[in-house]
Amino acid sequence: MLRFFKDILDAAKEGGAKKLAAPCAEKKDMDLLSKAAGSGLIIPCLIGDGKAIEGMLKGLPLASLEHEIMEEKDPDKALGRSIMLVREGRADMLMQGSVDHQMLMDAVMDARNGLRKGKLTSYVSIFQLPKPEKLILVTDTFINNNPTLAEKQLILEHAVRLADILGIDAPKVAALAAIEQINLNIPSTVDAAILSKMSERKQFGKAIVEGPLDIDCALSEAAAARKGLRSVVTGNVDIYLVPEIDTGHLLAEALVFFGRLETAGAIMGTTNPVILNVPFVSEENRIVEIAIAALMCRKGEDHA
Amino acid sequence: MIRSLDDFARIAREKGPKKLAVLAPEDEEFMLAVKTSWQKGYIEPVLLGNTEKMKRVAEKVEFDIGGFETIVGDDRQGIADLGLSMLFSGKLEIVSKGQIPTSYIYRSIIREENRTGSGMTVSVVSFWEVPGLDHLVALTDTGVSIKPDMKTKAEILKNALFVYRLLGYPKPRIAVLSGQREIGGALVSYRDFDLLRKAAAAGDFGECEILDATSFTEIFLGGRDRPVDYVSMNLARMPHILLVPCLDTGNIICKLDFFLDVTRCSLVATSRGPVCIPARSDSSDNIVEQLAMCVVVTDRMKGEVK
Repeated sequence: MLRFFKDILDAAKEGGAKKLAAPCAEKKDMDLLSKAAGSGLIIPCLIGDGKAIEGMLKGLPLASLEHEIMEEKDPDKALGRSIMLVREGRADMLMQGSVDHQMLMDAVMDARNGLRKGKLTSYVSIFQLPKPEKLILVTDTFINNNPTLAEKQLILEHAVRLADILGIDAPKVAALAAIEQINLNIPSTVDAAILSKMSERKQFGKAIVEGPLDIDCALSEAAAARKGLRSVVTGNVDIYLVPEIDTGHLLAEALVFFGRLETAGAIMGTTNPVILNVPFVSEENRIVEIAIAALMCRKGEDHA
Repeated sequence: MIRSLDDFARIAREKGPKKLAVLAPEDEEFMLAVKTSWQKGYIEPVLLGNTEKMKRVAEKVEFDIGGFETIVGDDRQGIADLGLSMLFSGKLEIVSKGQIPTSYIYRSIIREENRTGSGMTVSVVSFWEVPGLDHLVALTDTGVSIKPDMKTKAEILKNALFVYRLLGYPKPRIAVLSGQREIGGALVSYRDFDLLRKAAAAGDFGECEILDATSFTEIFLGGRDRPVDYVSMNLARMPHILLVPCLDTGNIICKLDFFLDVTRCSLVATSRGPVCIPARSDSSDNIVEQLAMCVVVTDRMKGEVK
C-alpha cells in the first residue's frame, strides 16, 4: 500500500517514462514537465507555437532531455491534435496545458473524437494524511455537480479502482451525508444507504461502504460509538464519497486551507489519464498527479 | 468584542447563572457538562428526562442532582416541546439538548415560533474557534434547512448577523460559499451568492460586507489562478460568517473539528433565547464551552429587538 506521495512517485518511476501530450503549455507547465522528465516519469510531447515553446525551454533541463515539439499555433487544433495523439497510442496521457478547463473537458468527453470511456468522468482528490500515515480519497470534488444515485455508483467505482491502483485493498468507504440516519427528506442519506446495501451484496468488490455517515462518525470511531454506530469503517476511512459538488469542492478546499493537507488528484472514467489543473493543488504536487497518471497507464486499458 | 471561546467563558462566569432546561441529560458526557457548568456558575439546571437514567449517569459523574428541579418524561418529543414552551413562556432563559435527536428540538422550536407569530426562520449557527485567528467564525445553516432557497438563505443570514453582532461586531464580513468552479456551468449556490450580494448592496442586511469570493481558494488566495503555497498560507482573510449552500455541506464542513485543530460551538437563536445544540458525539468539555456561549448570548439578547 502506498502511504505517501513520495511512494507514488517512486512506484511510478519504476514503470519507465510515459509519453505525455501537452497542448499550449505555459512556462509553469514547462517547469513541471522538465522536473517530471528529469525524474524519468515522462517524455513530453509539446503541441503549440514551436518558437514560443523553444523560448520557454531555454535554460531548463528539459531542453537537453528527450522531448518532442509539434507545431500548431491554433489552441483548438493543438488540443485536438493532442487528443488524437493519445487516441492513436502515440501518447499515453494528456495534460491540460493552458487550455480552458471547460474546453478541455468538452473535448475529452466528445463521443466521437474524445477520450471518453463510459457514461461519466469523475475527479478524485487524494490527500496525504499525516496521522495515521495514509492516503485518503475524496470524490467527486471537481467534475459532477449533482450526481444521481446511478452516477454516484460510477463515481464510487472509479474511486475504488483508483484505490486499487494505490494499493489500497478492500477500501473502507464513508458515503457522507448530513446525518447518520436515513431521512427520506434528505436525499443524500437515502443514496448513501442504498450504496451501503449494494456493498453488502459485494457490488463494489471488496470495498466496504458504510452510509449514511456524518463526518464525525466517519472521522471518529468514538463519536460513532456514542451515536450507537459500530462499523469497521468509522474512524478508518479510505474513501469519502460526498453527496454533491458544493460539499465535495468545499470539503477538499477546507482540508487544504484549514487542515494543510497536501493534495493531488486524478480524473477517472477516460480511456487514458487526463491531468487537470485544479486550483487547490499546489505546483509542487502537480508532479504527483503525473505520477498517478503514470501508475494508471501501467494498469492498461482498465486504468480508469 | 468577543474573539474567542475563552471570552465566552469569562463573561459567562460574570453573567451567570442562567436558568437552563437540559433535555434528556441521560448520557455521562452531557451530565458531566451540566455538572461542570453549574460548578463554574454558568447555569442553574432544570433537568427533563427519564429519572432513572438521569440519576444513574449523575451518580457515575458524582453529581448530586437532588437539589435541582427535575421534570420526569420519557417521550422525546414531549420533553422537547416542554423545554421549548418553558423558554418561550419566559420560565427560563436557555434550553440545551441532551441525548435526544436534534430534529425533535427543531420541530418544537418551529411550533413555538409559529405560535408566537414571530415569522422567524429557524437556523443553526456553528462557531469555529481557529487557532491564530483573531475572531470566531460562524458557519450557518448547519442544522435545519436541507436545501434552502435564496429567500430562506437571506433569513438564515439575518439570523447569523443578529448573533454575530451580539459579539460586538457592527459590520461582519460574510462569504456565501459555493462549489462554483471552472467547469459545470452556474450552480444554484452561485446564483444565490449573486442575488444575496445584490440584496446586501441594497441594504437588506444592514451593515455588513459580502465578499466577492465563494470558495476557500478565492477567500484565502484572492483568486482561483493563484498558486497554493503551504509555507506562506495564512487564514487572516477569514470572514466572520460563512453561509453554506445546503445542509450536507454545512454539517460536513462544520464538524471537521473532529479532524482539524478547531473547536466548534453551535446554537439556535430563537426569538426568545438561545437553544444549545451540541452534537450527540461532542465531549463534555466542548459542551461546557457551548453552554457558556449560550449564557453570554442570552444575556446580550436581553433588550435586543429582533
